[in-house]
Amino acid sequence: MPIDPSMEPMLETFIYESNTLLEQLDEILLESEKSKDLSEDNINEIFRIMHTIKGSSAMMEFNGISTLAHAVEDVFFILRDDPSRLTSVNEALFDVVFKSSDFLKAEIESVQNSGEATQDPSEMIAELERLAAIMRGEAQSAPAAAVPSTAPAVSPASVVSAEESTDDHYRVKVHFEEGCQMENIRAFMLMTQLHDLCDELESIPSHPENDASLCSEIIKNGFLIIFKPASSADDVFRAIENSVNIKTYEVVKEAQQKQGALSSEGETSASSKSDGAIFPVQKKDSPATSSSNASTSGTKAKQSLVSVNQSKVDQLMDLVGELVTTESMVVSSPDLKGLHLDNFYKSARELRKLTDELQDVVMSIRMVPLSGLFQRMNRIVRDMCKKLDKEVELVTEGGETEVDKTINDAIGDPFMHMIRNSLDHGIEFPEERKAMGKPEKGKVTISAQNIGGEIVIKISDDGRGLDTEALLSKARNNGILTKPESEYTDKEIFSLIMLPGFSTNQEVTEYSGRGVGMDVVRKNVEKVGGTLSIDSKQGQGTTFTIKIPLTLAIVDGMEIAVGGSIYTLPITSIKQSFKIREDRQIIYDTDGTEMIMLRGECFPLIRLHQLFNAETEITDLHDGIVIQIESGDKVACIFADELLGEQQVVVKPFPSFLGKYELKKLGLSGCTILGDGSISLILDANNLLNAY
Amino acid sequence: MSTENIAVSEDALDDLSGRYLTFYIGDTFYGIELLHILEIISIQSITSVPGLPHYYKGLINLRGKVVPVIDVRLKFNQEEHAYDEKSCIIVVTIQDMQVGLIVDSVDEVVTIEEDQKNVPPELGGSGARYLSSIARIGDKVILNIDCDKFFQNDLRLY
Repeated sequence: MPIDPSMEPMLETFIYESNTLLEQLDEILLESEKSKDLSEDNINEIFRIMHTIKGSSAMMEFNGISTLAHAVEDVFFILRDDPSRLTSVNEALFDVVFKSSDFLKAEIESVQNSGEATQDPSEMIAELERLAAIMRGEAQSAPAAAVPSTAPAVSPASVVSAEESTDDHYRVKVHFEEGCQMENIRAFMLMTQLHDLCDELESIPSHPENDASLCSEIIKNGFLIIFKPASSADDVFRAIENSVNIKTYEVVKEAQQKQGALSSEGETSASSKSDGAIFPVQKKDSPATSSSNASTSGTKAKQSLVSVNQSKVDQLMDLVGELVTTESMVVSSPDLKGLHLDNFYKSARELRKLTDELQDVVMSIRMVPLSGLFQRMNRIVRDMCKKLDKEVELVTEGGETEVDKTINDAIGDPFMHMIRNSLDHGIEFPEERKAMGKPEKGKVTISAQNIGGEIVIKISDDGRGLDTEALLSKARNNGILTKPESEYTDKEIFSLIMLPGFSTNQEVTEYSGRGVGMDVVRKNVEKVGGTLSIDSKQGQGTTFTIKIPLTLAIVDGMEIAVGGSIYTLPITSIKQSFKIREDRQIIYDTDGTEMIMLRGECFPLIRLHQLFNAETEITDLHDGIVIQIESGDKVACIFADELLGEQQVVVKPFPSFLGKYELKKLGLSGCTILGDGSISLILDANNLLNAY
Repeated sequence: MSTENIAVSEDALDDLSGRYLTFYIGDTFYGIELLHILEIISIQSITSVPGLPHYYKGLINLRGKVVPVIDVRLKFNQEEHAYDEKSCIIVVTIQDMQVGLIVDSVDEVVTIEEDQKNVPPELGGSGARYLSSIARIGDKVILNIDCDKFFQNDLRLY
């Protein structure tokens, strides 16, 4: 059933919130499964998550999601009451809740893609109900009264009949405005609103949110609410009055007919609960504000988070970039040339400090810790262990390392591939490991570190390692060897697995073996500017290393002129600059390459006007300026026309249209727009020194 | 999105198809489908970039966006002319990327019906292989450029 158009604006929020909640759910489940116990906090948390998802999905009319969430909620309602009942169902419970979580995730994804959630959860619901019955069956006494329940939509069998007919029970019949639609959901929302104000709360029909066909009944007969107010009935009436879309409400006085008049709707499994008790409303619990869409912000409240549309962050970054450029323009305005403006420059320095700080903060907004990604890997390891019958422990380090969001999103899939590979091919079966003297439990380690402007991520396992013989022979058979086998270094052999279609797996398993994995992985890594390398020791394990440079969008540069063009050289690459005075400094090596002598050392001299084919009158080395640059341990000197001055520039990548021409390799890492609107090309010392 | 909005944009698209912007390279009259064109600007300062084929003049600053420009004369292997006040840059979009085409001058927008179009000649002088069709309007012959073919060699394969 496609979405009601009035609901569409809430769809994005629904998807985002539900996904966040399901991720939290997974985290809790994994943690609890490991410790084989569900703490009270966790039970409550899971209950709350399910309750929220139930409510918001009901409002969006995704009934499959809602009923499944409801079923899980029921189970945890039982556990909340008595956590010891977990022992009767333990492993089966975790399995089915994980399965439910997957189902919900898949359904949400389906909503994201097509706007519809159409799968049938009845199998899981049946399993959940079965477990619920087992758990309840353990309890000797089926308590009649005082079984706590929260909002009216909790227990499947909501048989209520009054043991006492007191006058502090009110019956109110509510009619909704004509044509307001979705009366059943509105009724549910009303119940939710009244929940906090009442000690007891029931309704006819009792689960309006579950059945859209009840709309007509509600329209015809009105929606009957029976409640016992917590403090004053006036509060409740006021809440009803303030509620939207309610046309009228009337208090109905039928004290006699309470017993038996309030019977449950058709929802089955009437087990020990239905012993004719009024279910008092427990106010202490977190109310279901699921009907108010956007207010379900970060549930764990470890940090207070605000979710922001990514385009706004991008806009902010662009503006900060332009701010930096304009600031430079103001401070180095030609109008100010030659003037002594001490106070001005003092203020300018203050301004610069502020914009620097602003820049840092804005950049950090887009940074996310890798821990989120690492968490998802936990789930994958768990699932694969079960499927493959292997025992593997996942160790993560450096989860707090932050990367730009785009990088985080891009390496998610590569991670999954590599972990799957490690578990499928790398880690041996427990018996095999035992025979080899290894601990039966395999270990996969993911670590992340920030080293010198790069993020270095390692995924390593202590499994079989790569078999160089097998790799070579597979390559040989596929005819992809480019040189005699003996000339291949181990590292090169390992890199073979990143070639498309390469897989030494005999059979294709669900997880790997189609030979599609590693080359896609490498492509994805390279897409964000990273590199992937592999190392391995047969019998001991394999390590994948991903290195991703942290792209800094703003660079402190020195503008230099070469012919009619302006280039920007990052200050960090500059060692020194000088003019050439004596001829003695220039020598030529055996190839005829110009070299320059500096304090007894020889450095190659790169004439930029030659390298870049720029037309300039300054070709005599005495007329221009020489700049000594370095990158890593490579040092050289470049020759340009003149230095134009320092400038902070915002790096813009070259238009993707020019992607074919690999300008990076020439030593050009990007371009920037200067204060006067002209374009300057940014030099990259590393590539420049490599290219020459 | 209301149905009115959809109707309007569909109308707009209908307006564009079959309409061509015509321009001159020397005495030859060319056309480009309006669908591809973002805007037309007069010639402005171009920053040259090393390492590109000779017909790339470099980059321009288009309201804060860096856009590469190609000299159509050079791409058609014709003699380069100095730019004058009539020279224009036609900014086109292809595969979500923008590129500017430097032409001698721009003429007008014409509508060309399907039946006015003819298959371009197999052989021919400069630029023949970039054409999608040839049309005749009055006494003028318009050579219609096929953008995909035009940029085929410039774009990466993947």
